[in-house]
Amino acid sequence: MDIFLTRLFAGMTAGSIYAMIALTLVIVFRSSATINFAQGEFALFTTYVSWWLTERGWNIWVTLIPAVVIGFVLCAAAERFLVRPVRRRDEAAVLIVGLALFTGLNGLSGTIWGSDDKVYPRLVPVSVDSFLEIAGARLFYDSLFVMGALVVVVGGLTLLMSRTNLGLQMRAVATNQESAGLCGIKVGRVFMISWGLAGAIGAVAAAILVPILPPGQLGLPGMFHMLIFGTVAAILGGLDSIKGAVVGGLSLGVGLAMINGYGSGLGGSISLTVALVVVVAVLGLRPSGLFGSKRLERV
Amino acid sequence: MTTLIDKTSPARSGGQGPSGSGRRGPVVILRGSGRYRLILAVCLVLAAGFVAWGGTLQPFEQGQLTRAGIFAIAILGLNFTTGYVGLLSVGHSAFLGLGAYTTGVLVVNYNQTALSTIPVAMGICFVVGLLVGIPALRIRGLYLAIVTLALGVAFPEIVARLGGLTGGAEGLTIRRTLLRPPEWSGFTLGEKDQWLYWLTIVCLLLAFVVLRNIITGRYGMAMNAVRQNEIAAAASGVNIATVKLLSFAVSGAITGLAGSLFAMYIGSLFAEGSFTVLAGITLLIGLVVGGERTMLGPIIGGLIVVFLPYYTSDIGGGQFSAVLFAIALIAVVFVAPDGIAGGLGRIIRKVVRVDARRPDGGREGGLFGDAPTATATESGSAR
Repeated sequence: MDIFLTRLFAGMTAGSIYAMIALTLVIVFRSSATINFAQGEFALFTTYVSWWLTERGWNIWVTLIPAVVIGFVLCAAAERFLVRPVRRRDEAAVLIVGLALFTGLNGLSGTIWGSDDKVYPRLVPVSVDSFLEIAGARLFYDSLFVMGALVVVVGGLTLLMSRTNLGLQMRAVATNQESAGLCGIKVGRVFMISWGLAGAIGAVAAAILVPILPPGQLGLPGMFHMLIFGTVAAILGGLDSIKGAVVGGLSLGVGLAMINGYGSGLGGSISLTVALVVVVAVLGLRPSGLFGSKRLERV
Repeated sequence: MTTLIDKTSPARSGGQGPSGSGRRGPVVILRGSGRYRLILAVCLVLAAGFVAWGGTLQPFEQGQLTRAGIFAIAILGLNFTTGYVGLLSVGHSAFLGLGAYTTGVLVVNYNQTALSTIPVAMGICFVVGLLVGIPALRIRGLYLAIVTLALGVAFPEIVARLGGLTGGAEGLTIRRTLLRPPEWSGFTLGEKDQWLYWLTIVCLLLAFVVLRNIITGRYGMAMNAVRQNEIAAAASGVNIATVKLLSFAVSGAITGLAGSLFAMYIGSLFAEGSFTVLAGITLLIGLVVGGERTMLGPIIGGLIVVFLPYYTSDIGGGQFSAVLFAIALIAVVFVAPDGIAGGLGRIIRKVVRVDARRPDGGREGGLFGDAPTATATESGSAR
């Protein structure tokens, strides 16, 4: 039982992070109908900024403020100046802009800060005995912190979506862009804010995940792996559903932890493949994911 | 090239250039005419000269050229499905790796000669391509890109898993003596680089000619139709499932050929190093920058993905080439959606236009891509 719980906690921790990345993808997808391949690299860039500031003696929590602001501004600017002009052309063009941003931001981070791994401090310092004991299993405080962060982010987003004018506009645009535009919503501005929001959440998620998930250091290739996990989670839940992203992320995290723990033949090095096979199967049976809205096509 | 053409030639009067307007239209050359053959011959001689010059280079530079040729073959394969049929694939690195590991495993574990493994590698990649094509029947666009992403991510993991066969994470090293050029070629073991260079050139040429013939033929028209409008294509009698599956399979086989050559070139295979999704993205970048749906695009793309990082390796610790790639990609998306080859083609077509003799055209897949629409609208607006 305690081993099971330990694995469950580990899975929930990782899953919360996947869910947060999936959320950023979902927010972008709801407005622009594309997967932003560069989402991880935006977060990588802001995390490098944050690391650079901690090296200058800033408190790690304070560095989150410029990181979030830069994440917001970078993503919003990318939408406004790079994505929007080609959006009307086709899906492939937007995807290629995403790939360009992916390559470019990774290269830029490497050019500025070098390609060697950096030690990024933890937001919540841990020691050996900072855990709660639940039925013999250890639940470390930083795991609690990660899950709490997910709750705060999802809660904030839900409030934003359901209680504010901006949220109403975002939902309207996600449902039908043309009708939303005809109702007087500035669709372009909603796109820009959506991207910025995704960038800001990505910045927070990256700051949390870098010290916790392997390899535990800030390196150039790390975020791409996270992006794949986030994409898997988002697709599992249906790309346009916030609820789906959370369910997808948590089930991916817990599922991988269980596969690694119990299915020794399938675990270890091949766990991601197993997860991806599941996703392809899900897509084959339900092309719009578990919670995604069905796409109607005019034949 | 333009100096070769007499601008007052009678051939011009045959075209539909904008007459009466102040601007002179492009010179029209009929396909199959003497002038056309002369230009073609000059281009071929120039290309042959370039290839022959590559044969005399020092081993290192020649190796880089071989590498570019291998990537050009791989991008040719990618162009076949991503360019012409529009099935976006970010996971073609898996086919590259599959071809490479087929050759590697057969040479190391089963004592085959390197050359004889090429058909096997292509066959395996063909079958895997068919299998991967199956989701493409139901899943579209972005979601399909994710399926291919899954393929690309899964490949290194599976290789690591099958450690007994593939050497796992330590990699698979093919001893140099096992890659001895065959007797009949006349190359000795010491001239392995030379042999590989010429082998790559021959393979590139073969792949180029075969794919060009497919694309300009009936099947190529079907592929274009599927990309542009599936419903219209189906209504015109195109079997969409067959086109999608076969194009993915052929594309996989060609990229597998590149992988097989890559194994011979590099000698030691590391799935985590050479065949990750990042390699698949590199192929895609090469294709887009070189020019989708053009025949020369993949070759330009192959040269770029090899030589751009090489020449910028001094700047920013080797990371700067990525930034340049990004700028090139964005420039391509904004300025020349059909890549460098397409952009060059458009400029050339302002000066020279090649018209088919047949009235029905059928010029899709020309060296610089399918241009007729651009020229048509242009001359239309000039009137």
